[in-house]
Amino acid sequence: MQFVTLKGYKEGYKITLDTAASFADILVELEELFAKLQADIKHDIDKKVVFDIDTGDRILSLDEKQAIEKQVSNYPRLSIHRITADVIKIEDALNIMESRNIHINGKVIRNGQVEKVNGDVLFLGNLHQGATLQATGSIFVLGEVSGIIHAGFNDDSQAIIVGDVSQAQQLRVGDVVNIVEEEDQERLLKALVYVNDLHSLEYTTLDKLKNLRPKLFLKTGGF
Amino acid sequence: MGKAIVITSGKGGVGKSTTTANLGTALALADKKVCLVDLDIGLRNLDVILGLDNRIIYDIVDVAQGRARLHQAMIKDKRFNDKLFLIPAAQNTDKSALEPDEVKEIVDQLKDEFDYVLLDCPAGIEQGFANAVAGADQAIVITTPEIPSVRDADRVVGLLEQQNLEQPPMLIISRIRRHMMNDGQIMDVDEVTRHLSIKLLGIIFDDDSVIRSLNTGEPIVMDENNIVAQGYRNIARRLEGETIPLMTIKQQKEQGFFGKLASWFKK
Repeated sequence: MQFVTLKGYKEGYKITLDTAASFADILVELEELFAKLQADIKHDIDKKVVFDIDTGDRILSLDEKQAIEKQVSNYPRLSIHRITADVIKIEDALNIMESRNIHINGKVIRNGQVEKVNGDVLFLGNLHQGATLQATGSIFVLGEVSGIIHAGFNDDSQAIIVGDVSQAQQLRVGDVVNIVEEEDQERLLKALVYVNDLHSLEYTTLDKLKNLRPKLFLKTGGF
Repeated sequence: MGKAIVITSGKGGVGKSTTTANLGTALALADKKVCLVDLDIGLRNLDVILGLDNRIIYDIVDVAQGRARLHQAMIKDKRFNDKLFLIPAAQNTDKSALEPDEVKEIVDQLKDEFDYVLLDCPAGIEQGFANAVAGADQAIVITTPEIPSVRDADRVVGLLEQQNLEQPPMLIISRIRRHMMNDGQIMDVDEVTRHLSIKLLGIIFDDDSVIRSLNTGEPIVMDENNIVAQGYRNIARRLEGETIPLMTIKQQKEQGFFGKLASWFKK
């Protein structure tokens, strides 16, 4: 029974592992395959073989990956480009879903509290003075905001802040911080805040959104 | 089984101890059995406000550390026929002398015996705050209508909301200067309540008589006609579940001599 298949594609070689086989069997077969490959390319001194490994419906643990990498390292002319699988862990899947969702948040966030959100937020609550709303994505404000708004937390300068943030204390996008001055308040009543090409915060009107972030509308579901 | 209510504010000087003493007295006057617990370890003063400072033998730290039994530390206020008791704070230790678990144990014992256990919380949000909140079922947050005080109250409400209390904290706005509120110089009651978005339990006006009562050791609530006393009595009745309208802030202007003369001519 063959658990390991090698195929050549335009982009290179790909080794597919049978999902039903035990990992020990696979290691044995891989060893044979590598030895054979090494022998095959012996005559061609410069030739190097780079291949992908597709694990099918199986997720390799870190140890298992290392076992394969160790095997390959015995053959200096062979190397792995990457290891892929058709499946991911539920935890990872949830994380991806989380960060792509728009979270609706209606909380009262009080002085000293920091509300952290993974992904985009539609904020309907009340952000008091001294409180912080921190999202890894963009923040869309419909509620009352008099604290600190931080979009694109952890350095995502593509994130934006939209809505009435005229009473906010500070606006932050990625690593850029602006203190809201009184003279800016009028422009922030219905604003779009983003990081411009000079890497500073710019306040503009909502109608510029389509040009500035065309992909945003794909994400929100309007294909 | 009684209710344990923590009285807290974050900021100092807004009237936590005054409120604890007066609310406790008002409840005792309404024939409830009340025990006040001073948790401001190191800086006790609830005993002074009640005029009971000369009767302290044991304090709450003695009870927690097993040097005294709970009943030995309880001071009875003789003015209210066995209705009002006080457990004083210790003076010669600091706030770390008590642990939240110890306070909870003491409060749970008191709840069996009393209708209300009022916990007087120290200012700040450190150990003393944690101690006071640990035993409580409900919380009353005190603030004055000044922004620094409201800001601290906001912080404290946030902390209280994470504590799994029976119900959200309630608000008392104290030291209201009526003429300033009428003139719009300070935040008005609605503004403060809306900002903190918790239930308003009552308002207390600022009055010279309160300071006088602190000096004499007679809670202001005992003076029935006083406006502050009425405020505290209303709060006590609201705690008991009655519906009572808020006192009006509008103040009748004292008419001067010429005003009186003019109104006389208008007749």
